[in-house]
Amino acid sequence: MRTVDWAVLIVSLLGIVGYGLYRSRGSRTTSEYLLAGKTMRWWVIGLSIMATQASAITFIGTTGQGYADGMRFVQFYFGLPIAMVLISLYAAPRFHSSGVYTAYEFLEKRYDSKTRTLASWVFLLQRGLGVGLALYAPAVVMAVILDWDESRTIAVMGLLVVTYTAAGGIKAVMWTDAQQMIVMMLGLVAALFAAVLGLPEGVGFGGALELAGAAGKLQAVDLEFDPNSRYNLWSGLIGGTFLALAYFGTDQSQVQRYLTAESITQSRFSLLFNGIVKVPLQFVILLTGAMVFVFFLFTEPPMLFHGAAADEVRSARGAEFARVESDYEEAYEQRRVAALDGARNGNMAPYLAADQRLQAARGRAIGLAEEATGETYNDTNYIFLTFVINHLPPGLVGLIIAAVFAAAMSTISAELNSLATATVIDHYSRYVKPGAGDGHYRNVAIGATVFWGLYATIFAGYGAQFGSLIEAVNRVGSWFYGAMLGAFMLAFAPWKSNGNGVFVGILAGLAAAMATELYTDVAFLWFNVIGCLTTVTVGLLLSRGRA
Amino acid sequence: MSPQLPPPTDEERAPITGSWPRLYALVLALLAGWITVFYLFSVRYAPGP
Repeated sequence: MRTVDWAVLIVSLLGIVGYGLYRSRGSRTTSEYLLAGKTMRWWVIGLSIMATQASAITFIGTTGQGYADGMRFVQFYFGLPIAMVLISLYAAPRFHSSGVYTAYEFLEKRYDSKTRTLASWVFLLQRGLGVGLALYAPAVVMAVILDWDESRTIAVMGLLVVTYTAAGGIKAVMWTDAQQMIVMMLGLVAALFAAVLGLPEGVGFGGALELAGAAGKLQAVDLEFDPNSRYNLWSGLIGGTFLALAYFGTDQSQVQRYLTAESITQSRFSLLFNGIVKVPLQFVILLTGAMVFVFFLFTEPPMLFHGAAADEVRSARGAEFARVESDYEEAYEQRRVAALDGARNGNMAPYLAADQRLQAARGRAIGLAEEATGETYNDTNYIFLTFVINHLPPGLVGLIIAAVFAAAMSTISAELNSLATATVIDHYSRYVKPGAGDGHYRNVAIGATVFWGLYATIFAGYGAQFGSLIEAVNRVGSWFYGAMLGAFMLAFAPWKSNGNGVFVGILAGLAAAMATELYTDVAFLWFNVIGCLTTVTVGLLLSRGRA
Repeated sequence: MSPQLPPPTDEERAPITGSWPRLYALVLALLAGWITVFYLFSVRYAPGP
């Protein structure tokens, strides 16, 4: 990176953090520290909700997905606006009027302490590992692309986040989230323009769409109902609604955002704002990836975007790799000429044939990489940053790296803050030291934030060693999501249900989701539907006549 | 026990009335609009020569 990029990166990060701390001054009570004293406006909450969901890997991985797999991933978000309406209608007013700090606290008010404690432990386990991963995953990509030291990147990011999250509480988190979301959107729009402006003369935005479309990159909607296919209209609308209901309606990292609203109206506006903006925003992110694909039709892309893996194959299987590389370069040149002709004259057949040849050469290189490293090769997360670093003008590179940092920090800060809240409210003040003064809980919340921050930083530092553990716990956590949603559905619904029924229902929902993944080919978006419906059914059956 | 929060306001207890149903309908109509636009986009830029 050049000096101007460093300047943009440092000024953006320090500016965002400084502004967040400035806005959070005077958070003296527990309510102010954890719920911003219920004073937040809808647009800050809305941007914070979006920034929390958009992690660094979402930011760089989704553009990579647009490049490699096209735009069908947008269907994943089709259920989100439906979920926002349902949460706004049923969940947000109930959470507000029950005067809770955590979503799980609501379960105790409705049922009993064991249901609350189970739900809160599931959250701590799932988010506790997730926060380490949110710090580790972007650091790995930055290390490969920018040649930065992985541990140092984790330490700098971790220290910055812990400082403002612990010092300013949720107000600092949300004000920085709002700024970070704006930086992310600016970075994306800049990258989209840069990709289109970088096309050769005679290939405009219309021609770029034709080229991307012919290569199958613009298939945004698939109407066919297939429970085994990962993304289609139906899995997006039904499975996506259940997933978004579970994430935004039961996960403390999101519920806490809209609990800070100064009124129920502000809370509802923030959710609906997310429902309106999210789908077109994801479309733009994926379209950026598709335009990067077109950009690389006219500028040779690396055969393998993961440079370190390519170097490893080169040293282990040099002669074979060189042969594949020469075939790749020849195919690239054919594809470049044919794509230019296709954009100008509409003749796409030679371009598609050359693209197939190029993809075949890349497939052989991936095979060599997998043999040389002994691991599955996937470079989706490296595509967008390779484009940014090598082909964008000075200044813009700094802005986009700042956007990646912003995406990482906004997710991590929200997770640290919600982990600290669940720790203090659901466990410390409930079991360890009930009835202590307000100042005491605020101080313990600061301590819990620092604890979770240090834990995440240390865990991320050893991320490579914990890879399979993280994966396993994430998998178990995803089995719980539908069950959690089922429990909250029963809690909000007017039907008769009791604590014992719901507790067993959660475990049954977990077992159903687990069995679906282990013994069927059903795509993951349906697990939440199955888990949720099982919990509701079992919960209702076991509660009959004993609500 | 959890630290005390202020009691719920009248607004928090109020039922869904006024312009809320129209706003919810607008969010869902926008979603339907986006899906239609994306579908037409997929048809217009279908893969192949």
